[in-house]
Amino acid sequence: MPDPLHTRLKVLIVETLKLDDVLPEDIPDEEPLFGSPRFGLDSIDALELVLRLEKEFGLKIGSSEESRRALSSVAGLAAYIRAHPPGSPP
Amino acid sequence: MVTRLAMTAPPIAAAPRSPRNPGPSWGYGFLLWAERWWPRWFFRPMLMLGTWIAVARLPSQRAHSRAYLAVALARPSTLLDVWRHFFTFSDSLLLKLRAGRGVPVRCTLAPENAAAFDALVRSARPALFGTFHFGGSDLLGYLLGERGRRVSIIRLRVGNSDDTRLLGQRFGDKVSFLWINDPANLLFDLKAAIEAGASLALKCDRLEFSAKTESFFFLGARRVFPFTIYHLALLFDRPVAFCVAVPAAPPGDELDVFASPVFTPDPTASRSTNLAAARLHFQAVLVQLEALVRRHPLLWFNFLPLNPVAAVSVPTAPRPTCTP
Repeated sequence: MPDPLHTRLKVLIVETLKLDDVLPEDIPDEEPLFGSPRFGLDSIDALELVLRLEKEFGLKIGSSEESRRALSSVAGLAAYIRAHPPGSPP
Repeated sequence: MVTRLAMTAPPIAAAPRSPRNPGPSWGYGFLLWAERWWPRWFFRPMLMLGTWIAVARLPSQRAHSRAYLAVALARPSTLLDVWRHFFTFSDSLLLKLRAGRGVPVRCTLAPENAAAFDALVRSARPALFGTFHFGGSDLLGYLLGERGRRVSIIRLRVGNSDDTRLLGQRFGDKVSFLWINDPANLLFDLKAAIEAGASLALKCDRLEFSAKTESFFFLGARRVFPFTIYHLALLFDRPVAFCVAVPAAPPGDELDVFASPVFTPDPTASRSTNLAAARLHFQAVLVQLEALVRRHPLLWFNFLPLNPVAAVSVPTAPRPTCTP
């Protein structure tokens, strides 16, 4: 049974980054989101995704190190969101 | 509202492998001292001689200057053309150094697009200001501050950069710097600055640190240019305006400033519609810039390869309907 948060995040990633040739279910839970030739995402994409995540989940990602940790993979992102409920310090 | 950012420490000491300007470490200081204390009849010939030495000792810059001038002048360029290019750069550098030591530089906004640009600069709305390595444009970030607009200037931190240090000291209450040497950290500095309501000033002709590039007609070919400024504009709903400055005639401590139309993202339109409008805007900016480059070819200060001609796969703007 897939984790509903993982599924939601994959849809959000595909929508936000306009990954027209990628289906949400094609994104493996553990695959790195950035630095992967499969997705070809750059720093502006990272910024765009961070802004969307902040809006959707009430997060505050305040540094590049934190974003690297948060955006490591879908599973890493889900773990980050669970560890940082809305209103918690960044 | 503007938050002071990473500035405050203009480049003083460079790490061993950090980028630096060509020339000796004492070069800018000496130039500033000589310009101030030597009589003009002695200083100018010495500057001309020094420029010949620079032409001789900087083969890479000399080759790129010659290649660029051949395109801009539409004829094979000569060594004298290259020397004049270097000498024009020396004059521009001197203007910056003079401004940094407190000599007032007067700016006059050319009438085209002036009303909208001036209204934006004087408004409270945070904005993104683009410019190019052209003429006196290095001073524009500081001069926007003179008009009451505080900006964060995005720059590459280099070792021997006394012009930036002096300007930073003089205009420190009006400008801050975001250093692009570490792109990963820059991203969040940018985000913090924009979210805090800062206006940004950045140059949009060199590709090294740009995440997003697209191709546009410029100097007879489709060439690749940074396009990140428009992505930031869309992400943060900020207007974009460009301006460049050329020395007023007769040469002195005076600049004529040419502004572009203002691009304002439409929050009700789709991203692709906004990006299409952004491409048209930037192409119009480059048409305006090319007209100035053709009129003042020596003022394009990229002593680097000219923006590369686009490969077929790079996104492109529509061809402009008129060319200068």
